[in-house]
Amino acid sequence: MSVRAGLPVALAALTAVHLAALAAPFLSPYDPTEQNRTLPYAPPTRLHVIDGEGRLHLRPFVYRMARRGDGEGYEEDRRQSYPVLFLARAVDFGGAARVHFFGVEEPARVFLLGTDGFGRDQLSRLLHGARISLFAGLLATALSLGLGWLLGTVAGYYGRWVDSVLMRSAELFLALPWLYLLFAVRAVLPLRVSSGQAFLLLVLLIGLVDWARPARLFRGMVLSARERSYVLAARGFGASDLYLIRRHIAPQTFGLLLTQAALVAPQYVLAEVTLSFLGLGVSEPTASWGNMLAALQQYHVLVSYWWMWAPGLALLAVSLAYYAVSEGLNR
Amino acid sequence: MEAEPPLLDVRGLTKRYAGRRRGGPPVLALAGVDLTLSRGSDLALVGQSGSGKSTLARCVARLEEPTSGEIWFEGVELTALGGPRLRPVREHIQIVLQDSATALDPRFSVVEIVSEPLEIMRRGDRRERRRRALELMETVGIPPGWSARRPHELSGGQRQRLAIARALAVAPRLLILDEAFTGLDVSIQAQIAALLRELRARHALTYLYVSHDLALMGELADEVAIMFEGRIVEHGQVSRIFADPRHAHTRALIEALPSLPAPAAAPGL
Amino acid sequence: MVSLARRALHGLLLLLGVSLLSFVLLELAPGDYFSEMRLDPRISETTVRELRARYGLDRPLPERYARWLASVARGEMGYSFAYGQPVGRLLWPRARNTLLLTATSTALSWLLAVPLGAWWATRRRGAADAGLAVLTAALLALPDLLLALGLLLVAVRTGWLPAGGMVSLGHEEMGPAARVADVARHLVLPVAALVLGTAPMLVRYVRAAVAETLDAPFIRAARAHGLPERRLLIRHALPAAANPLISLFGLSLAGLLSTSLLVEVVVGWPGLGPLLLEAILARDYYLVLGPVVASTLLLAGGNLLADALLLAVDPRIRSDS
Repeated sequence: MSVRAGLPVALAALTAVHLAALAAPFLSPYDPTEQNRTLPYAPPTRLHVIDGEGRLHLRPFVYRMARRGDGEGYEEDRRQSYPVLFLARAVDFGGAARVHFFGVEEPARVFLLGTDGFGRDQLSRLLHGARISLFAGLLATALSLGLGWLLGTVAGYYGRWVDSVLMRSAELFLALPWLYLLFAVRAVLPLRVSSGQAFLLLVLLIGLVDWARPARLFRGMVLSARERSYVLAARGFGASDLYLIRRHIAPQTFGLLLTQAALVAPQYVLAEVTLSFLGLGVSEPTASWGNMLAALQQYHVLVSYWWMWAPGLALLAVSLAYYAVSEGLNR
Repeated sequence: MEAEPPLLDVRGLTKRYAGRRRGGPPVLALAGVDLTLSRGSDLALVGQSGSGKSTLARCVARLEEPTSGEIWFEGVELTALGGPRLRPVREHIQIVLQDSATALDPRFSVVEIVSEPLEIMRRGDRRERRRRALELMETVGIPPGWSARRPHELSGGQRQRLAIARALAVAPRLLILDEAFTGLDVSIQAQIAALLRELRARHALTYLYVSHDLALMGELADEVAIMFEGRIVEHGQVSRIFADPRHAHTRALIEALPSLPAPAAAPGL
Repeated sequence: MVSLARRALHGLLLLLGVSLLSFVLLELAPGDYFSEMRLDPRISETTVRELRARYGLDRPLPERYARWLASVARGEMGYSFAYGQPVGRLLWPRARNTLLLTATSTALSWLLAVPLGAWWATRRRGAADAGLAVLTAALLALPDLLLALGLLLVAVRTGWLPAGGMVSLGHEEMGPAARVADVARHLVLPVAALVLGTAPMLVRYVRAAVAETLDAPFIRAARAHGLPERRLLIRHALPAAANPLISLFGLSLAGLLSTSLLVEVVVGWPGLGPLLLEAILARDYYLVLGPVVASTLLLAGGNLLADALLLAVDPRIRSDS
C-alpha cells in the first residue's frame, strides 16, 4: 500500500508547516492584528493572469474589493489592476519596517484566505496562529514526555516505595477524564492573561497535567528491562545504577519516546485549539487556530463564510500528517 | 591433597524468598548449604529444577543476597562487603549465565559486550579496552572481523563463547557456568567444553558448573555435589559418585540417565 | 464478588482523592477565591454569613474540605454564586443528560463496531479491507472539534436536525411519546459526533482482537473439524475476544467522557460540559468542583461496570480471585 511512502512525505509536510509557522512574519502579507473595518468577511481575493483585454500577464494581479451596490457581499473593481509584488518592504502595524514575501500596493489588498469580522487577513492570522498552536503542542509534548519519562524511569528502576507513591499519584490523575482535568486546573488559573503568558500557561498546563500516562508506560518498560540478564551481568561487574540506566535501560525507551511523541503531539495541538476555542486559552487579538475557529460558532459565519474554515483544514492536514507519521513509525 | 585453604568456602548459606501469593508461605531456596571448592578442582552442582543450584551460584557471584550464612573466598568473607569494597572481589568471581540470548544486550556490538566489564571497572582507556577485547575474542574463537556484529547475528554456541570472553575480561579465578550448556547442540557443547578445558590451563581457572545434566557434568567436572530441595545431599569425586552413590536422590538421578558413563578415571587427571 | 466490592471501595477512595486534590489546587491558585466571593455584589450579606457558617469560607483548608464533604452528604455539594443555589440542584440534571448522551453513544458505537470489526477481520485483503482501513484512518485523524463543527454545519444547512439544545420550544406541552421523540431528535447530532469520533478506534481494536482469535489453535482445530465459518465467528471467536474487548471498553471511557465534554459545548447539549465551562468563566469555584467530581464518578462507575462484565464473562478470572 501507499502507506509505506507515507512516512517521509508526512514528515516533510510537517517540517514544511512548522517552518512556515516560524517564518510567519515573513510569509504573511499583513500584520495579523491589522483591521480593515471597511472589509469585514471579504471572500478570498482572486488572483488573475488574464486581464480584461484577454492579455496574459506573467505576474499575477488582483483587483480592489468593493462593497456591492446592494450591500450584499463584494465585487471586484476592474478599473485598475494591482500586480503582486514579491519581497516588498513595508512598514508594519507596529511601525517596524519588514520584508514580506508577497504583497500588493495600496490601496489594494490581497487576502488569499479572505477576512474575518474585523477585516483581518485570515492568511496572516493562520500563519501566526500556527506558531501558537503548533509550537504549544510541541513544547507541551516535550514537557509531558520528558516528565513522564523521568518519573517512569525512576519508579520502574528503583521500585518499592518510590514506585508505589508515583503509581498511586498517577492513578489519581488518571481517575479524571483528561479534558475535565485540564479544565479543572485551568479553572484555578487567572482568566485574563497576556498572550505571552497565555502561551506559557497553556504549554505548562497541557504538558504537566498529562504526565501520568507516559509515566506508566515508561515505568512498565523500565521494570521489565531491569530484570534482563544482561543488566544483571553488568551489575555483576559492579556497574552503578546510573551506568545501567544510561547504557542499557534508557536506549530501549527511545523507540517508545518517538512513537508516543507522534501520537501525543497532535492531541496537544488540539488541546490548545480547544482551549482557545472556548475562550480559555490565547485570547484576542492574538491569533490561534482555536480562537479563529471560535468565529464558526456564529450561525452566519458557520453557514455563509466558507473561508473561515481555513484553520480547521489546516488542523486537519496537520492531524493527518502526524497520524501518518505515527502509523509509519509503528511498522 | 593440597594444604592451602579452599578457594571457596560456603557455610550455612540460607536464602528465603517472600511467598508468591499475598500471605503465602515463603519459599526456602537454600536451606543451610555447606560447600568447599579447592583451586584447580572443578565442581559441578547438579540437581533438578527448584533444587536451589542457580540460587547458590548467584549468591556466590553476589548477584543475590543470601538471607543468612557466610561465603568465604580466598580467606575473605563476602557477605559482609558492601559496594566499593566488593569491587576487587568481583574481578575474581565471574559468572556466565544461562540463556545467552538474553544475557547479552541486543543493542551492543560484539566488541562492546566483551569490553563492557573493563569499561565498568575503568580499566585502561578506550584503545586498550578494545585491544584486550579483540584478544579475548580470539581466545574464544570469534574472528576479530566480527567485532561490529550484534548478538542476534551469532549462533547459540558463538553467543556462549562471547559470554565466556566477557567473563574472562577481568581475569577471574573462579568462573561459574550456570546452565551454560543447556539448549546447545551436543556438538556445540563439545566445542564449548574443549574451549573451557583450554582456557582453564591457560588462565589458571577453577570452574563451578551448575547443571541438571548429570551425564555431561560427569565428563567435565572433577567433583560433583548433588542438590535437593535447597540442600547438598551428597558431595564427592565424580568416579566415586557414579560407582557408589550413597543418597537416595543421587541414585535416582543416576538411574534416570539413559546410559551410565563408563566407570573410567575422572577426567582431568 | 469480593473483588468487585474492593474495586468499588478503591473507586470511592479515588473520588475522595480527586476532590481533595482539587481543593488543594484552589489553595495554590493566585488570589483568594473566598474573599473574592465575599466582595461579590451578587451575593447579599445574609447569604455571605450563611455561607460562611455552612462552608467556612474563611476557615483553613481542612475545615473547608470537611464542610464540603458534609454538604455532599446532604446532596448540596457546595454553593454556586453565579446561580445562587446549591450546586447539587444544578448538577444532577446535567449529569443525567451527560449520562444519557454517553450511554447512548457507547451503546451505538459498540453495536456498530463489533459486527463491523468482526466482519472486517474475515476480509483479509481486497477492496473492503482497504476501504475500511482508509475510512477508519481518516476518521481517527479527524479532530473531534472539527467533526462536531462539521456536523453542526450539516444540521444547520439541511435543517433536518435541530442544532443544539435538548428540547424544543413547547416541549412541556407535548405528550409523553412526543417528548421522547423530541429528545431523541435532539440527541442525533451529539450522538453522531461521539459515535463517529469513537467508533473507528473500536472497529480497529475489534478487528485486531477477532483476527487474533481466529488464528488461535482451538479455532483452527474447530475449522478443521468442518465447522462453518459464521458459526465459528459468532459462537467461538467473539466470546474468546470478549476479554480484551471489555478491557478496551473500560479504557475507552475516559476518552469518551473527554470528547463528550467538547461535543456538548459545541453542539449545545445541556450536560456537564457547558456547566463546567460556565463555572470556569464565572469563577464559580464550587460549581467547577461539581462537574469535575461528577465526571470522575461516571468514569469510576463505568470502570466498575467493565470489571463486573469481565468477571461475568471470563471464567478464568473468577477462579483466580
